[in-house]
Amino acid sequence: MTVEQDFVALDQFPVGMRVLAVDDDQTCLRILETLLHRCQYHVTTTNQAQKALELLRENKNKFDLVISDVDMPDMDGFKLLELVGLEMDLPVIMLSAHSDPKYVMKGVTHGACDYLLKPVRIEELKNIWQHVVRSRFDKNRGSNNGEKRYGSGNEGVGNSDQNNGRANRKRKDQYNEDEDDERDDNDDPSAQKKPRVVWTVELHKKFVAAVNQLGFEKAMPKKILDLMNVEKLTRENVASHLQKFRLYLKRISGNQQALMANSDLHFLQMSSSLNGLDGYNHHNRVIPVGNGQFHSGAAAAGMRPFPPNGILGRLNTPSGIGVVRSLSSPSPGGGMFLQNQTDLGKFHHVSSLPLNHSDGGGNILQCLPMPLEFDQLQTNRNMNNKIIAANSMAFPSFSTTQQNSLMNAPNNNLLVLEGHPQASPSSFPGHQINKRLEHWSNAVSSSSSTLPPPPGQNSNIIHHQFDVSPLPHSSKPDSLEWNTHNGSSSYSIPFCDSAAITLSPTLDTNPRAFCRNTDFDSNANVQPGGGFYDSMQTRQAGNYGPATDAMLSNNPKEGFVVGQQKLQSGFMGTEAGSLDDIVNSTMKQEQSQGDLSGGDLGYGGFSSLRTCI
Amino acid sequence: MQRQVALVKQSLFDQGYLDEQFMELEDLQDDANPNFVEEVATLYFKDSARLINNIDQALERGSFDFNRLDSYMHQFKGSSTSIGASKVKTECTMFREYCRAGNAEGCLRTFQQLKKEHATLRKKLEHYFQMARQAGPKETARRPK
Repeated sequence: MTVEQDFVALDQFPVGMRVLAVDDDQTCLRILETLLHRCQYHVTTTNQAQKALELLRENKNKFDLVISDVDMPDMDGFKLLELVGLEMDLPVIMLSAHSDPKYVMKGVTHGACDYLLKPVRIEELKNIWQHVVRSRFDKNRGSNNGEKRYGSGNEGVGNSDQNNGRANRKRKDQYNEDEDDERDDNDDPSAQKKPRVVWTVELHKKFVAAVNQLGFEKAMPKKILDLMNVEKLTRENVASHLQKFRLYLKRISGNQQALMANSDLHFLQMSSSLNGLDGYNHHNRVIPVGNGQFHSGAAAAGMRPFPPNGILGRLNTPSGIGVVRSLSSPSPGGGMFLQNQTDLGKFHHVSSLPLNHSDGGGNILQCLPMPLEFDQLQTNRNMNNKIIAANSMAFPSFSTTQQNSLMNAPNNNLLVLEGHPQASPSSFPGHQINKRLEHWSNAVSSSSSTLPPPPGQNSNIIHHQFDVSPLPHSSKPDSLEWNTHNGSSSYSIPFCDSAAITLSPTLDTNPRAFCRNTDFDSNANVQPGGGFYDSMQTRQAGNYGPATDAMLSNNPKEGFVVGQQKLQSGFMGTEAGSLDDIVNSTMKQEQSQGDLSGGDLGYGGFSSLRTCI
Repeated sequence: MQRQVALVKQSLFDQGYLDEQFMELEDLQDDANPNFVEEVATLYFKDSARLINNIDQALERGSFDFNRLDSYMHQFKGSSTSIGASKVKTECTMFREYCRAGNAEGCLRTFQQLKKEHATLRKKLEHYFQMARQAGPKETARRPK
């Protein structure tokens, strides 16, 4: 939908806006319903959060806005808020009798676009439509920006790897700039602009170490920050990273299939605390959303079959590898994300993506676990180490990517993130994944120009791990690279998703998961194994290896694009909202722009994620 | 008759049983929702009866789980506020204060008071609605404009 069309539609808009109201209190629900009817909205009510989620999942385009109570017996309102934001990218308004600023803050950090106090008055409800308009508007803006980029990106896509790399880089930079601007504009005014933190592998390692030391459940951002003892790292950065991490773990545990090591499982279980991360920083918006998406995505993606600990195992198992291989092969989408240069241009991978992620987010999630496992994995086998490394890399990159991606992310990503607090997840994962991929690819493909390849051994391992391991080694350079790729990172998410999808139809969790996961951390649910695994497999398979390496090194974008496309296809399939389309299209544009710098892996997935979610 | 209805309603306000929120609800009542206020009130009393029951049981058990009680009361307060049950709301607030202070005795006392207010309000509203129904649908629960 063009902006004009959007606005035209909006003229009649407030009337008939479809609202989903959730409140366990029947009295309040009834009153709310009547009030909303009085405002001429179309109202659906339910007194159970689960039911609300079902309704929303059933058809994402069925509703324009969700109003939810905070205290509900079956599910915390904030959790619902997160999930809706992540999966469906819909504006959510919180409702509560609590006027405590803490709750309001929590609402904001979890991505609510408004917070109303009970008893609700009709005057307040008369204006809630603005949130829907705003989110659409932001998305459109994102897509417009993306188009700009897209044009330049296309050229890059067609070029050789080198050219692409260069072009991508340029685009990325440009994009980053644009994104930054865009982001700034789109940024929630309440969010403070903080300098982006790049969660390098090292940094992430420290983070994980600190968390381990404190105990996952007891890990508080402030303490983690103190333990980490990193200059210029703020509590908010840590908090947001922690949230992602938790979500990531959660996803992993949720997926169960994560290949994560036992320790990961532990984290995963702990990450059930996803819900109430207080540490959310301004990225929270994104995170929750992303996480949710990832979570669902991960589940879908196929990480399922791999228990978190299993991720590593997966990697190690030949079957996994084989799977990856299969993915890497012809995958219409360009299995690994690298493959489809052409795809990049088109981003219409959607069809090709096997989309393991039924949920769309699964892949990404799968990746996430990796970071968590980082520490543990390292102690385990090589693979594990690699994985961990990868994870950690992924993770850090994730956060950074996220941040970067947010900033730079192609419009889609950004838009998603920015526009909708809830929507952010999609962009988030994408970015991160991209970053991770970047790292990964760099790691893996020692030849990667962008990221210094990890030491020989590492690279080997990385290959094996495909996504995760390489990063740690090259983390430094990677992170640098990665950061630069931030712009493209936005792609990564989609990319990751798609990549995962394409790569391992069977694997589900493949690279995509990897990509995503790394970024998300918080998307614990994401089965890192999946994504990671894919990457690993692909690497191992060798099919991808060279291709991917080449792709990765040269055209992170490509990989990214592929991923994206895949994701998109995968995700797109599920959602068909016009907004989604817009976002997706923007994302695609982003992709083509060639911002894929490995990190983009996630990007691709991102769009998918977004849509999927 | 209608005047009587209006008077009864006015007295409810005057005595502080109901507040502006109730008026808002009345505003919402229209041809599409002719008995809106009564419906909401019925819902409220049904819900709150259940909550009161829960709280009763919790208190009887003797183990004062203040968090639980507080959360019940929060719910109760929420719906009471939505319907404009002013006095009940006040009691709820007091109860929660006692909960936060860990004052079991205070909780018990307040709760008794709350139950009383609740019962009183219920009776009064039932009476009011009855009269309103008798007075004629149009006139029911309409604030004199």
